[in-house]
Amino acid sequence: MQYQQSESRMYYSESLERVVRLASGSAVVIFSVSTCCMCHAVKRLFCGMGVNPTVYELDQDPRGHEIEMALSHLLGGDSAVPVVFIGGKLVGAMDRVMASHIGGTLVPLLKEAGALWL
Amino acid sequence: MASHRVGEPAALSDSGAPHHHHHHHHIPYAVPHMLHHPTNSNFINQEGPAFDFGELEEAIILQGVKINNDDKKQHLYTAIRPAATLDMFPSWPMRFHQHTTRGSSKSGEESTDSGSAVNTLSNAPESPSDHRQPPPPPQMDAAGGIDSPRMSGSQSQPPAAKPAPEKTLRRLAQNREAARKSRLRKKAYVQQLESSRIRLAQLEQDLQRARSQGLFLGGGGAASGSISSGGAIFDMEYSRWLDDDHRHISELRTALQAHLSDSDLRVIVDGYIAHYDEVFSLKGAAAKSDVFHLITGMWTTPAERCFLWMGGFRPSDLIKMLIPQLDPLTEQQFMGICSLQHSSQQAEEALSQGLDQLQQSLVDTIANGSVNDSMHHMAVALGKLANLEGFVRQADNLRQQTLHQLHRLLTIRQAARCFLVIGEYYGRLRALSSLWASRPRESMIAEDNSCQTTSDLQMVQASQNQFSNF
Repeated sequence: MQYQQSESRMYYSESLERVVRLASGSAVVIFSVSTCCMCHAVKRLFCGMGVNPTVYELDQDPRGHEIEMALSHLLGGDSAVPVVFIGGKLVGAMDRVMASHIGGTLVPLLKEAGALWL
Repeated sequence: MASHRVGEPAALSDSGAPHHHHHHHHIPYAVPHMLHHPTNSNFINQEGPAFDFGELEEAIILQGVKINNDDKKQHLYTAIRPAATLDMFPSWPMRFHQHTTRGSSKSGEESTDSGSAVNTLSNAPESPSDHRQPPPPPQMDAAGGIDSPRMSGSQSQPPAAKPAPEKTLRRLAQNREAARKSRLRKKAYVQQLESSRIRLAQLEQDLQRARSQGLFLGGGGAASGSISSGGAIFDMEYSRWLDDDHRHISELRTALQAHLSDSDLRVIVDGYIAHYDEVFSLKGAAAKSDVFHLITGMWTTPAERCFLWMGGFRPSDLIKMLIPQLDPLTEQQFMGICSLQHSSQQAEEALSQGLDQLQQSLVDTIANGSVNDSMHHMAVALGKLANLEGFVRQADNLRQQTLHQLHRLLTIRQAARCFLVIGEYYGRLRALSSLWASRPRESMIAEDNSCQTTSDLQMVQASQNQFSNF
């Protein structure tokens, strides 16, 4: 029991590390699942703004499931995807992304990360 | 002892009982009597709830007519109102009065004592008492002895007063009586409304509790009607929210007209924002229990439903409507609002595309369901359908964020005006639905539509809000 728990904790922190590493790799990073429609919506949102995000489809990644679990823990919610990172920093799930866009903070973030030009 | 108000017959009977028993111990039921009182109010005293005074009603109270103590002639008839005054019965016609004056009237007068002449309307014995209850006869018999001498003595006519003013006085008394009845009716109605309101609040509480305990299973086919329990609960909550909305709008309107200070306005505007936050929270809960109810707009009026986007209003359309109404705006504000409209459009587009993909995926799943693994496909389809809730939630989130951003961009006075415009706009849209439904057509229009129209139309009247006191 304890061995399993510590193992999953190990996986968890490992996965988180991987998430952070991947997120820092590009200006805009989206963790997604190819069949998820909300992920499709968030991708369309960024494309519609002229941003070219880096998308990681977790269902097509061998260790994708662990990343999903880690993200789910990170967000504290039920759905792990979609999750958006901008400039290596966590923005959040769809609701945070939209709130940020409506609130006018998303575009400055994108510009700062170099994902958007005037 | 003299002032017994008709409206409180119970008290009357209690207080009057001993008084009566003194003189009418043989009469088990209440005997109406005129109390001679210098304040010249005529009251009815009654006891014995068994007696149906309604039958004996003769609504003539002559004010200021003093009854001579020694004058045993009863020409005065009092209307008797039992506790069930709230039953509306009409006054007896005048002709009845003559009947009774003819001496068939039962005058159970109290012998002396207060010196007041007692009129028993049981004089009604003839016509009304036929189908009335038992009481009348005994009363007659009982007081028969007392009666007879005076019956002979008092002949029909209202003795003291002259005929002409007498009629006027009678009419006046009738008017007063009618007015009093109508006041009592109104009071009864209001009391009924109040108790209904309390009952409704309790019902809602019970439902809320039951729902939180998971007694109601949301989703298809739950309730007997075409609407699920989750949908029905939301409809009820939404209807109450609409009433609140109406109240908030009136408050905003009067606050703006009264030119309140900014800090006072801020409180009201914050209250309106919180009011909208509440509806989004309600919708969130409803999306969990019955997303179809929300997304098909069954909770809205037809006109709103026609322009529905993902279970509610389209934020960019709302902003487009608002911009010309928010003048004057500073350059910065104008830029901010245009930017808000643009962002909202982008977000709406993204969500719509996501929903399209969901629909496509669902169609594929159901279309490809073969006979062999149809259950599997159905299970997959069910899983996909579950995503609908997410989209409605995101759409509501978008609406909520838009309203909050508007609040941030505008000054407090502008924000107050902005929300007033929004509230009135949707009020008009709802009224439009009612008007449309009750427009003249070949087929019969249901009556309740017009009632709805009336209330919606009254909401539409911006200037005088007749419901501001509600």
